[in-house]
Amino acid sequence: MDPLALGGLVAFFTVLVLFSGVSVACGLLIVSAGFLIVFDGFGSLELLPELFYGKLDNFALLSIPMFIIMGSSISSTRAGADLYEALERWLTRVPGGLVVSNLGACALFAAMSGSSPATCAAIGKMGIPEMRKRGYPDTVAAGSIAAGGTLGILIPPSVTMIVYGISTETSIGRLFLAGAVPGLLLMALFMAWSIYDTWRQAGSASALGRVNYSWAEKLEVLPRVLPFLGIIIGVLYALYGGVATPSETAAVGALLCVLVAVIIYKLYDFASLWAILRDSTRESVMILFIIGAAGVFSYMLSSLFVTQAIAEWIGGLDVSPWVLMGFINLFLLVAGFFLPPVAVILMAAPILLPIILGAGFDPYWFAVILTINMEIGLITPPVGLNLYVINGIAPDIPLKTILLGSLPYVGCMVLAIIILSVFPGLVTGLPNLLMGPAL
Amino acid sequence: MQEQGAASSPSQTGLIRAVHSISKTCGVISALMIFASVLITCQMIWVRFVLNGSTIWQTETVVYLMIGATLIGLSYVQYLRGHVNVDLLPMLLPEKLRKWLQVLMFLLTIAVTSVLTYHGFEYWHMAFERGWKSDTVWGVPLWIPYLAIPLGFGLFQLQLMTDLYAVIAGKDDSASHTLKGEGC
Repeated sequence: MDPLALGGLVAFFTVLVLFSGVSVACGLLIVSAGFLIVFDGFGSLELLPELFYGKLDNFALLSIPMFIIMGSSISSTRAGADLYEALERWLTRVPGGLVVSNLGACALFAAMSGSSPATCAAIGKMGIPEMRKRGYPDTVAAGSIAAGGTLGILIPPSVTMIVYGISTETSIGRLFLAGAVPGLLLMALFMAWSIYDTWRQAGSASALGRVNYSWAEKLEVLPRVLPFLGIIIGVLYALYGGVATPSETAAVGALLCVLVAVIIYKLYDFASLWAILRDSTRESVMILFIIGAAGVFSYMLSSLFVTQAIAEWIGGLDVSPWVLMGFINLFLLVAGFFLPPVAVILMAAPILLPIILGAGFDPYWFAVILTINMEIGLITPPVGLNLYVINGIAPDIPLKTILLGSLPYVGCMVLAIIILSVFPGLVTGLPNLLMGPAL
Repeated sequence: MQEQGAASSPSQTGLIRAVHSISKTCGVISALMIFASVLITCQMIWVRFVLNGSTIWQTETVVYLMIGATLIGLSYVQYLRGHVNVDLLPMLLPEKLRKWLQVLMFLLTIAVTSVLTYHGFEYWHMAFERGWKSDTVWGVPLWIPYLAIPLGFGLFQLQLMTDLYAVIAGKDDSASHTLKGEGC
């Protein structure tokens, strides 16, 4: 059978199996085993355990559970609320101060926790009721937090970027830096839209319940937000100082975050500590299982020559690189609508990377474009996780309003993709400046 | 977040309860392995950067612990319904067909995990018989880390079978506590 047609068949069955409610990792194993049996015979199955194990046998992967522990210990404290309060007190005089401070808090919390739903929940729990109370429209209150939460997978440190780094063998440190400026760009776009939309819907009549805070109140909140922020900055500093690998610095960061949660936030009872560890274990196992299964899946693709055939086919197409990039974006966008970011990256990155490089694009730039596509998937149906998180913390806002409120932010993300395509230097500039040009 | 495992009801047989407690125990072991790897990595950094010593066993150990935690944790995460999934097709189907689809997917999952358990056992056995060692200074007998493959997938299968039983017996409450995917 022609490998390219075989590729189509694999794609069809993968979509069918993954949509049928089976877990993503098991789905990938089922499809891989099925195709290997049909085309290579039962004998090929004996390689599966070795492939699965081999994929996980990598010290760099350790950074995933480590960053997850950092995030879940931060999320289990009231650090999100503290951060929110601090920004709100400091930014109260800025026009649209509340929504701006909410988005700022999302960006910072995203950096600390590295998780989109955790960011939505932590900031939204305080931010959404407060915004509604002060006269912000529901669409802005819900949409800004849903969108702000997605920054978690772009702003460093980000587990999604680690997974990309591992599956494409690119530098994780460089990927983190590449995400920083685009993350700020997105935040700025979100802020601009929120202020405009608030002004449009609520009019200028709303100084929107501005509250004045005394200096004492402003200074009082700072010590509570500094420890975690300090740890994150320390971890990133150690990473770029070349002191240690991402896994090593993340392990120290994880231990420090747990200690801060215990000492400063007084989570020393057994139940809260177990909750941190249990949540981290659940998420780490889930992601690492997908990584192992994706290893088996990509072995199946390349042993049936599908990967090579797709790359050859696209290489033979006589289209401009930007048309190609347009189609790749469309593909990622659609995949992101349905599948979690980690799964999309693990399945698509190894196939797409040679194509991207062949067309002359930068792998770090592509990581950012891919991640923004995945962010869109987090706030669009049917599996837009953040929409459901917002629905959970503000049950009286109808899902439809949340959805309508989030749509303009999808527009902001598409705009960001266009801006970054026109000015790729926004992505590659910072890593090149701090780490020297990529080899 | 709340413990989201299948709620134990009086109708559950002793066997199912036993499997659930095995899965929960696996969860604790897996969590402890992950936490141990945090401590060992920190110890390694301490030795290397503060005491200026050299480290031999740490990097390898934490990788084995991570692989072990993943495999041993599979059944626990299944018990929590924590493996991310997309239930687009079931949502479009009438209830009766949905149940059959669920049963079919469970059977396929159990089949593929049997393959991994069986060949995983063979792989482990080969490493044990032939005395394979890791090609590092430390030279760990590889049957120790490889043991996690048949053990992890075997226990995962056990949990899957009780879940399948729950679906067939109509006691499945997974719809009420399906965890949606994590966002990272």
